[in-house]
Amino acid sequence: MEGAFYNRFERHAHGEGLKGHSTHYCPGCGHGLVHKFMAEAIDELGIQDRTIAVSPVGCSVFLYYYLDVGNTQAAHGRAPAVALGHKMANPDSIVLSYQGDGDLASIGLAEVMQAAQLGLPMTFIFINNAVYGMTGGQMAPTTLMDMRTTTTPTGRTRLTGEPLKVAETIAQLDGPMYVERVALYDSKQRNRAKKAITKAFRLQAENRGLAFVEVLAECPTHLKMTPVEAEKWVEKAMTAVFPLGVKKDIEVEPWFDLGTPNFEPDAMAAAIGATSDSPERFAEAFPSHLDAHDVAIKFAGAGGDGAQTVAALTARAGINEGYDSTYIPSYGPESRGGTSYADVHVAEEEVLSPASPEPHVLVAFNAPSMDKFAPHVRHGGTVIYDSSVIEKVPEVDPSIRMVGVPCTQIALDLGKAMVKNVVALGALQAATGLFPVATFHQAMAQALKNHCALLPLNEEAFHWGQEGAKAVLGEE
Amino acid sequence: MTKTAKTPKKVRPKPFLFPEFCKACGRCIEACPKHCIELGTEIDPATGFTPVVVNLDECNTCGLCITACPEPFGLMPEPTEEVDFELLDPEALFGPRLTEAPEPRDIPNTTVELPRLETMVLKGNHAAAVGALLAGCRHFFGYPITPSTEGAELMAKLLPELDGVFLQAVSEVAAVNMMYGCGGAGLRSMTFTSSPGFSLMLEGISYMIGSQIPGVFINVMRGGPGLGNIAPEQSDIKLVCRGLGHGNTHALVLAPSTPQEMLDLTLEAFDLAFRYRNPVVLVADGYLGQMTGRVQLPDTMIRPGLPEWAVWGDRDHRRNLLCSIFLSETDLEQHNLRLNEKYATMRANEQRADLYQCEDADWVIVACNTPARMAKGAVRTLRERGIKAGLFRPISLWPFPIDDLEPLLGRIRGLVMVEAGSGQLEDELRLALSHAQQPFHRIENVRHFGGVLPQQGEIVEKIVGLEGR
Repeated sequence: MEGAFYNRFERHAHGEGLKGHSTHYCPGCGHGLVHKFMAEAIDELGIQDRTIAVSPVGCSVFLYYYLDVGNTQAAHGRAPAVALGHKMANPDSIVLSYQGDGDLASIGLAEVMQAAQLGLPMTFIFINNAVYGMTGGQMAPTTLMDMRTTTTPTGRTRLTGEPLKVAETIAQLDGPMYVERVALYDSKQRNRAKKAITKAFRLQAENRGLAFVEVLAECPTHLKMTPVEAEKWVEKAMTAVFPLGVKKDIEVEPWFDLGTPNFEPDAMAAAIGATSDSPERFAEAFPSHLDAHDVAIKFAGAGGDGAQTVAALTARAGINEGYDSTYIPSYGPESRGGTSYADVHVAEEEVLSPASPEPHVLVAFNAPSMDKFAPHVRHGGTVIYDSSVIEKVPEVDPSIRMVGVPCTQIALDLGKAMVKNVVALGALQAATGLFPVATFHQAMAQALKNHCALLPLNEEAFHWGQEGAKAVLGEE
Repeated sequence: MTKTAKTPKKVRPKPFLFPEFCKACGRCIEACPKHCIELGTEIDPATGFTPVVVNLDECNTCGLCITACPEPFGLMPEPTEEVDFELLDPEALFGPRLTEAPEPRDIPNTTVELPRLETMVLKGNHAAAVGALLAGCRHFFGYPITPSTEGAELMAKLLPELDGVFLQAVSEVAAVNMMYGCGGAGLRSMTFTSSPGFSLMLEGISYMIGSQIPGVFINVMRGGPGLGNIAPEQSDIKLVCRGLGHGNTHALVLAPSTPQEMLDLTLEAFDLAFRYRNPVVLVADGYLGQMTGRVQLPDTMIRPGLPEWAVWGDRDHRRNLLCSIFLSETDLEQHNLRLNEKYATMRANEQRADLYQCEDADWVIVACNTPARMAKGAVRTLRERGIKAGLFRPISLWPFPIDDLEPLLGRIRGLVMVEAGSGQLEDELRLALSHAQQPFHRIENVRHFGGVLPQQGEIVEKIVGLEGR
């Protein structure tokens, strides 16, 4: 026997009796021929050890009974995605994605389109016999018009659409380099089919690109014909709808050099931005004047106000000081311009509840946020708000300190409206003494480590925010 | 009966047929230009077919009949060695395979020391991504979905720097099947997703479990059903514990509650996935995925090896097959019995829970993920008020850590389930109690869903109310 077949088909009913050397296919089925051509191509090219065959759902689900290569069986329609997973895992493997017409052209259209468009060197073999085989002769996307199947008992009509021309569709994509439709109905076509299949493997073995071969195959059982009648039917009826020939054949440069995954610890640390440098600590004690164990802060504004950025900075500052600190954002559905809130906790030991429904400190960037959250600030708490945009201050518990700082105006005076959030952060520092100034400066420097040029402006904004708050509190 | 059939070199062989392997399709009859082959008339008792009859007097060794035969052991070139026709074994007839595939072998993982690294400030989703990288995952397949996307985005940035692969799939359906292929090749692969996306992956997860392929899924759960919203809800506990696709499926389900645990449990999930050859699911909630906190890195990272069962695409692994189809009923029953043994081992060995002030508690709160943090805050407040409350936090949701809970049941006054969901964790608890034949029934709850989280204050009020009754 020639080709990369098993000596005995142990997986076919445990290889017992004739099944050890016979396929499960019906007499005259096209699958067996294509299996033979593939096995011979694999043998000829010397790629048996490297080959992985991904088998579909349908009659050819049992491809792994026969081909003596690495075998993976895929879910219905998903063979191209499974094949991509294999190729990405080991670019040196030769990956075959083998599918029938229901599998590829119906349930698995999305997967085959993505894989084909990617164009990685892989071999796609598509068996088109115009009918579902394993489930018992139902309509396939490739069933011909007027053709009777068990789900088109009076013949396929326009109500179920025209037969899908897969090879032409795939050839329209940029990804594949070689697409051909072949048939099996006579010796000449079989030789062409064998050549096309060999070429489809060769292009992968040469690391060139994706090859797709559609094979018009006979399903005598469900066509209710003898094998020889089925050959004639494919020749006459199928090729009229599905013209044979090369649909695409272009030269491309070899590609696909993924490199070997890197597991060096230093590369790992660099990639994730981890360092061995310890941040400095400036705080002498936990800010227990705000809360004994756990300070809750809420930053609230519209998207683009920068509430999230300063919330993250505050959490980082807390962690640098050796406390536990958390920050949680809450956005509206809009990418820009919606609501944007952030809850921050700084806890001496462990943040228990990371939400801040009743914060000790509220930083409000606009009037709706002020109206929504100021009434929930805790007794004795602090509200810092942008007095450039918030004109009306809601009635709150008299124990709460209201610190209006013209954050936007100060930022504009500095030439960059964006830094109004840092102005507010400076005001927060001055009004609450959450951490020393140096703690915030260090957190800003860490956050801007790749944009050092912006640091002076931010430090200045922070300073003027402090001054703004001091001015208000001094007046009181 | 023996026959000598020596063919001189460079002369093409004539066809040769074992009638038992002929299905009488007749393709060879049409193919032969010399009309050497005709349909037989005698039924072969072994097959019920009437094999073709080959008369080679006119044969010009064109080989077209061989190319026309769909059967691998059907018409084939006549053997060149002396053969014994009584012997129906083609291996004896045609010699051994070209290359014999050896027994597959296992390449073990290695543990690599990391330099001492400072505490990091990471978002939950990012912490999980870093955990995956430390676990030796270099292959990510996924589809963007809020509120899990930051994890995928970080992987998209970092994997190329580590010569790994990030592939954005056409859908979650494709993503899980790429994991099937990559995990099937023996590598560590993962995805980030959220509830609607996870629903789409269930088919693939069932196949992975059936084919025993590892992979790590991080499901940052959000509000449902349907499109629901993008706010935090523990909406998929039922799905991950009871509904991983069709068939007899289970997977270890881990529920972190801090960014630190997002890293630690993801790191561990890969080892568990490969130890059991099974997917592992981490369920976080949207809050946790988005939450930034302190994260301490481990001392070591993993350089993965290659398991012996991998379909890798080399000689050492050529024998391997990954499939979930077992056509014979008894084979499939055996397969399921093996899976059940595996599930039983997981139940025995992988129950995890964190107990906080449960030793003397009258009221034990049961909560996981972010609600467990609200609950922990409530425990502290209740203790300050003199009420003995404790927190039982399941870290493994499947298997439910019933072994850790049972010792408490004899003396507590009640369990209080705190969930950002409709009671799916409570269902798991009740099922676990039932299997353990525990008649305990004093189970109260504080629930919110749709993205509303149970708050510390209402948990406190609930238990104060229960205490006063």
